[in-house]
Amino acid sequence: MRSGICMAALLLAPVTCVAQSPAAARAAFQDVCGACHSVETVTSQRRTRAQWQDSINSMVARGAKGTDEQFALILDYLTRQYGPASPNDSGASPAAPAPAGRGRGAAYSPGPEDRQVIDEAAAIRGRKVYAAECITCHGTRARGTERGSDLVRSEIVLHDRYGSTIGPFLRQGHPAQTPVAQLTQAQLVDLSHTIHQEVYNTLRAALQIQNVLTGDPKAGAAYFNGEGKCSTCHSPTGDLVHIASRMDPPGLQQAFLFPGGRGGGRGGGRGVSAHPVTVTVTPASGTAITGTLVHIDDFNVALRDGAGEYHSFKRTPDLKVVKNDPAQTHHELLDKYTDKNIHDMVAYLETLK
Amino acid sequence: MKVLATLLLSSAAILAQGGLNPASLLAPPTDTWPTYNGDYSGRRYSTLAKINQSNINSLSLAWVYRANGAPGGGSGGRISATPVEVNGILYFTMPDHVWAVDARTGREVWNFQWTPHGGEHIGNRGAGVYGSWLYFLTPDCNMVSLNLKDGKERWHKSICDLDQYYFGSMAPLVVGNHIITGVSGDDLDRPGYIESHDPETGALQWRWYVVPQKMGDPGSETWPNEEAMKHGGGMTWLTPTYDPELNMIYVPTGNPQPVIAGKARPGANLFTASVVALNPDTGKMQWYFQSSPHDTHDWDATQTPVLIDGEINGQKRKLVVQASRNGYFFVLDRATGKNISSSEYVKVNWSKGVDAKGSPILNPAKEPQLDGALVSPNQGGASNWPPPTYDPDTGLFYVSAARAFSVYYIYDPSDKPEGWGGNDRGGWSESMIQAIDYKTGKVKWSHKWEDGGRSGLLSTAGKLLFAGDGSGNLIALDPANGNPLWHANLGSSVTNGPITYELDGTQYLVVAAGDTLFAFAMLR
Repeated sequence: MRSGICMAALLLAPVTCVAQSPAAARAAFQDVCGACHSVETVTSQRRTRAQWQDSINSMVARGAKGTDEQFALILDYLTRQYGPASPNDSGASPAAPAPAGRGRGAAYSPGPEDRQVIDEAAAIRGRKVYAAECITCHGTRARGTERGSDLVRSEIVLHDRYGSTIGPFLRQGHPAQTPVAQLTQAQLVDLSHTIHQEVYNTLRAALQIQNVLTGDPKAGAAYFNGEGKCSTCHSPTGDLVHIASRMDPPGLQQAFLFPGGRGGGRGGGRGVSAHPVTVTVTPASGTAITGTLVHIDDFNVALRDGAGEYHSFKRTPDLKVVKNDPAQTHHELLDKYTDKNIHDMVAYLETLK
Repeated sequence: MKVLATLLLSSAAILAQGGLNPASLLAPPTDTWPTYNGDYSGRRYSTLAKINQSNINSLSLAWVYRANGAPGGGSGGRISATPVEVNGILYFTMPDHVWAVDARTGREVWNFQWTPHGGEHIGNRGAGVYGSWLYFLTPDCNMVSLNLKDGKERWHKSICDLDQYYFGSMAPLVVGNHIITGVSGDDLDRPGYIESHDPETGALQWRWYVVPQKMGDPGSETWPNEEAMKHGGGMTWLTPTYDPELNMIYVPTGNPQPVIAGKARPGANLFTASVVALNPDTGKMQWYFQSSPHDTHDWDATQTPVLIDGEINGQKRKLVVQASRNGYFFVLDRATGKNISSSEYVKVNWSKGVDAKGSPILNPAKEPQLDGALVSPNQGGASNWPPPTYDPDTGLFYVSAARAFSVYYIYDPSDKPEGWGGNDRGGWSESMIQAIDYKTGKVKWSHKWEDGGRSGLLSTAGKLLFAGDGSGNLIALDPANGNPLWHANLGSSVTNGPITYELDGTQYLVVAAGDTLFAFAMLR
């Protein structure tokens, strides 16, 4: 379906698609970013071009390796695919567990294929028109006030393409006939970009975590050293030294709740080296073998031992299998934390700059 | 029994055309799987027993059909449809695609490709069949009718407005001369509805809105104002079930909108996140039961409402039960909607018990918060769309379940958030099959998967329960205790609900994993 994807990408970014193949951009993304991030971790975010540039800069500062050409490709790729009004607007699926690497192409996102593509410059110009003519009644975010309707939810807006229905309505149907009826065609198109941008801003993942730093650091330290028993395995001067300079607060929160997970936040899950799950397998007649768990299901188990050798076993009643998940204590804490414990812990960890 | 009479009268003519005898929808013979759930009850139990506990280890691979090159995924897409099987032909879908495959051999008979105009291509649950015609929904809001014999398009009709970010994914339900279709989509704040269409022309027969359309209408008292209510969501993602005697369809409804940030929609938000009984001839509501009043966790109630003719306290009862996404198992009287029991089938951390009507009471502290609230289950839910099964031989209801945690955040703290306005992140989960005794609501046994897994289920009179784990295994479990009896690794996890049928004396088991259908049979 490469041709289909490229065709859809053409609609969105005519220049870049001609100049470069999406496959090359995706390959650059995989090569440079894939070493540390799962694709889903990165692409569950929605950011503007400037925001993606910031992210890339910060990753370069953290040691991301790539050529200038690769970073340019990645910026284009992320902006095109995962911008606020990008084709892949939907993050997790609503009625199904989010399958990893679903890899839907550009044509396969919510909404119509021919939806308006925002011209940022036009949207900025349109904002001036909006501020002069619309904002008093329809509100700063076009979500309506007591005086005017919600434009984000307006079917006239949702059916509009570049002023095609907004224009005629303002010329003929709008209750305040003048001065909106006197807007020029160019102003109408600009305004349509502004209003559509507000619609896209309501889409999932156009927004981010606000502030998780609401707890009491002292109470967090007490929990760390007391009830939570975190100090049994962790130390602010050992494995957690400078943890807060490596991860932002949302990343810290996700990292201690779900170690090894792919939660949100900058550097999520990577601040502390993840210890792999190990397994000890004892055959009825043989000696125990311990190693890193490669695979386990009801019928088979596989591990890689300290020498790097791969071992695979059929599970039988005689085969003893003992799994050791170093994060088991973290999993068990999920039933014990209060939300206050969690927020206090984030506040405490944030002091470990 | 007007419906039955109509069906029987028309069946002779339809049979002559090689189509589906509508009477078989009421009491499906064992040589067909004529509708999404196999029959109207949603129990996904087959009376076939040629494949059974004593011979399961002789089960052989009969054929494999790979639906190559289909869109919806980089590696060929995912079959989440339950195939229907009529007169020896399997019909199944992926977004924009329908296939007809020989149910004995896996050879393709025809395929149909729809030219899409956008829409969410997350999955398609399957096709409905009426007489000689097939019906399916497209991501770009069309219902398409095809000729069963050659896959040629007969007509297509719009069922929703793509500009409002609706899309089609559910498998249409055929009841009498009604083709019943639902709508999907929760990106913008639009009202959910369910419709009935004429099978010959596609013309609209009725539409029922999940959210009331004007203040004063029943349910409007659970909304702050008309604007919030009319944009209040409640999508109809899943195929309803049907009781021909009561002439009621049981419609599971989706979550309210905005999804996570519920500040501007105080109240219970009826009739979202509910099971609703409608008259299929008129679309009039008979009763409702709300699973998640004022949901703010994306816990729709679009899990199959399964009909059980059972016994409660020694009394014969017509029941409808649901293992809902929020972690509760509900048992209702399906004539009246009256709650009989509500119980947690996995441990949850968001509820303060149940109210007088049996609906759980949300702990406000576990609503999404600016700095996060740790909630279980997560957004994926304690269960989700993959179909459960009820086995009348054991009296147990089986569901693919998860105990999962995530943190729910408010991203938009304004007074009028729209769309989602928040989300959940991160998580830890463990997956299992829960076997629930509907008489007590208690989990009788639980079989945990080592490596995830959330598949549709099938039970049979062969004393077998079929499920998929997270490692690509198709597994037959003992329905009495959950012990695995047989398995085959398909290389990819089961992505739909397995089905079974008997043709020429051979019982087949058909299941999808990724973009491929696998058929197993007792060949000797």
